[in-house]
Amino acid sequence: MLVDDSATVLLSISGILAKAGFQVVTASSAEDGQKKLAAGTKPDLLITDLNMPGMNGIEFIKVVRQRAELRFMPILFLTTESQQSKRAEAKAAGASGWIVKPATADTLLNTIKLVLR
Amino acid sequence: MDELKQVFLQESNEQLDALEALLLELEARPDDETTLNGIFRAAHTIKGAAGMVECAAVESFAHVVENVLDRLRNHEIAVSTELAALMLACTDQLRVLVADEAGVADLAAEEIQTRTAGLLARLREFGPGGQVAASPKPAEPGVQRIPAGHAGHTCWHISVRFGPEVLRQGMDPENFLRFLETVGNIRHIETLADGMPAAAEMDPELCYLGFEIALESAADKQAIEDVFAFVRDECRLAILPPDSKVGDYLELIDSLPEDSLRLGEILVRVGALTADELAEGLRAQAAPASPDSAPEGTPIGEILVARQVVQPELVAAAVAKQTQVSEKKAHDAKLIRVPADKLDHLINLVGELVIAGAATSLLAHTRRDGELIESSSLLTRLVEEIRDASLQLRTVQIGETFNRFQRLVRDACKDLGKDVELVISGGETELDKSIVEKIGDPLMHLVRNSLDHGIEAPAVREAAGKSRRGSLSLNAYHDAGSIVIEVADDGAGLNRERILAKAVERGLVDPDAHLSDREVYDLIFAPGLSTAEQVTNLSGRGVGMDVVRRNLQALRGTINVDSHPGQGTRLTLRLPLTLAIIDGFLVVSANRSYVIPLDAVVECIERPVAEHDRNYFNLRGQVLPAVCLRESFKLPGERPARESVVVVQYAGQRAGIVVDRLAGELQAVIKPLGAIFRHLQGIGGSTILGSGEVALILDISALIKISGQAEQRLLARPEQRSA
Repeated sequence: MLVDDSATVLLSISGILAKAGFQVVTASSAEDGQKKLAAGTKPDLLITDLNMPGMNGIEFIKVVRQRAELRFMPILFLTTESQQSKRAEAKAAGASGWIVKPATADTLLNTIKLVLR
Repeated sequence: MDELKQVFLQESNEQLDALEALLLELEARPDDETTLNGIFRAAHTIKGAAGMVECAAVESFAHVVENVLDRLRNHEIAVSTELAALMLACTDQLRVLVADEAGVADLAAEEIQTRTAGLLARLREFGPGGQVAASPKPAEPGVQRIPAGHAGHTCWHISVRFGPEVLRQGMDPENFLRFLETVGNIRHIETLADGMPAAAEMDPELCYLGFEIALESAADKQAIEDVFAFVRDECRLAILPPDSKVGDYLELIDSLPEDSLRLGEILVRVGALTADELAEGLRAQAAPASPDSAPEGTPIGEILVARQVVQPELVAAAVAKQTQVSEKKAHDAKLIRVPADKLDHLINLVGELVIAGAATSLLAHTRRDGELIESSSLLTRLVEEIRDASLQLRTVQIGETFNRFQRLVRDACKDLGKDVELVISGGETELDKSIVEKIGDPLMHLVRNSLDHGIEAPAVREAAGKSRRGSLSLNAYHDAGSIVIEVADDGAGLNRERILAKAVERGLVDPDAHLSDREVYDLIFAPGLSTAEQVTNLSGRGVGMDVVRRNLQALRGTINVDSHPGQGTRLTLRLPLTLAIIDGFLVVSANRSYVIPLDAVVECIERPVAEHDRNYFNLRGQVLPAVCLRESFKLPGERPARESVVVVQYAGQRAGIVVDRLAGELQAVIKPLGAIFRHLQGIGGSTILGSGEVALILDISALIKISGQAEQRLLARPEQRSA
């Protein structure tokens, strides 16, 4: 599942993932993502933006981790060079790792390979 | 253009609009955290999106802008007029760059580059911008690359103890080991389970494992460390390069929690050390008298490091709290984006539903079936609600359109050396989105006109006894089923004599004609007489007032001008609420049906036969013009003995429309007339009745105008009337 408020990011990352053979569920906000998870979507991996209007990524990660069936799901968050301080916060919330935006297809897929069982 | 790019363009433009609005807000309230964060976020999003579509020009420029904004947000630099102006210029430049990416920029490539360079230079004054952009990746000085020829002992030693929470963070330690294989070859691996507690105390969700690994790899230290980047902060990780000194290994053994001797054996097993080296090393280490001093020093260092980690966290948390408020607000404003054609389709269907409902209702009435009438009236009521609700979907507040003018006014004032305050009211007034889109340009023209020619320069104003600061007000409100938008200024007002002189010169008006003030002012809408060029000799702006009026007429709207010399000019735009469905009043003349928009209907009265040949009538002492549909449309047949007059009102004027009989209210779905009928005056469109019959919708404003013009012409020429 991919969560980001930027349509551009959603489209480009889901494009890369789809090409690599992943089945991608996108959500344009944390609330949207939550709704889809509640509806029974059980992704193998969650990629979320941190800086989103409404519920932010960190709160979202915390909420997702509380779902029993997703306790061990890898969660990656999208971040930038300039947001180092957020990384610790997101990790503390239960994130597995991060992807630095803008990421090339290779970096993206490599990172996913690292966290995906 | 591919879909991704299109989404990017649309999104960027939205973000740029938001950025611009926020920047203007910032000028008014420089210390507002919410605004600052919003600005930063907008720039950040643009940069991120640009990176995704590999639009380097936008990305690198936005990056520098973002850096300056970040300093602003962190209060490293203060908000100043200069900075605000620079940021606005940058917003414009981003717009140009985005447009360039879309291939629709109206500037040459060199010009764009020159501007970018100019702005970058100015941005550099405000922060570390330029340099950061130049080299985003800091070079790693401590990197050691193993030469390829260095055979034999090319094994790195990696010692890792995972943090207990690693599983709960969705990571499997095994993954790292597997991923290490992509960097090099694992020659030997030892698993350490020393941290594992007794089975009863063990939490199966925690990780207690550690690994000692010999990795054969040509990668550098950074690359190996990067494998563990995600758990770097929670785990104990030591990476020793190939050919490290024995001392380094001993230090490592010392720093690890496990029993030194056991670790030593493991290292020997891993192949990092030989048994002899270990024994020698341990012996040497035991020799110093105070071995405690060093280990004791380390924790303090660790604490210091830890503190440095904690602090940014605290700061981040504080910032996060502050941003929460603004994010909530932004969330409230979050909308669902629906393609306009989907909505149009829905509205169309609702329109058909209205017609079908009317047919059913008609059928029920002709059958005189009580139950059917009841159920169909319920249906009709629901359909009406659906109609209103679905039309509501298309409405937007006009405030957004108004706010765009803040920038325009600000810039124009600078260019013209004027001081003008823009007063916006009624921004929450809602109207159909398709109308909003189409009135943007006419409004822009009117505002520009007011700034250019209406409001005087400060010195002139002072001389005329007015305040130096001019005022331009934009107002919107609902009035009798229409939207009224007013553009008013407190400037010099229109110059009646000069307009008239120009009109005569252009041959638009007969020199001997007697014109009322209103007729003279209306001349500014005549083609070929643009106030911009003719009246004040200031540079014109492309579109003339005639185009403004034509645009409005295409929306079934009208424009009126009201001006007082020395006091200002007020332009009043009147637009229909929606373009799709109206409540109508059905009338019949010569067995043909016509629809009058219900909002325009004031009352209905009967007209005695004796008054048939007059073109006016008496409404309780008030004399009003009468328009006979039979005469206007040259309908055949005898006039009935009793005619009805529908008193209509539009834009403050009243008139009577003489018809054969009245047929009650209905909902009319407007079907536009074909191109052939476009020149028809007095007809606004057509609709289909429940019976399947076509009815024409009367254009009340045009009808009133026709009758009003005839009347005024008569009044203006008394000699003709007496003749």
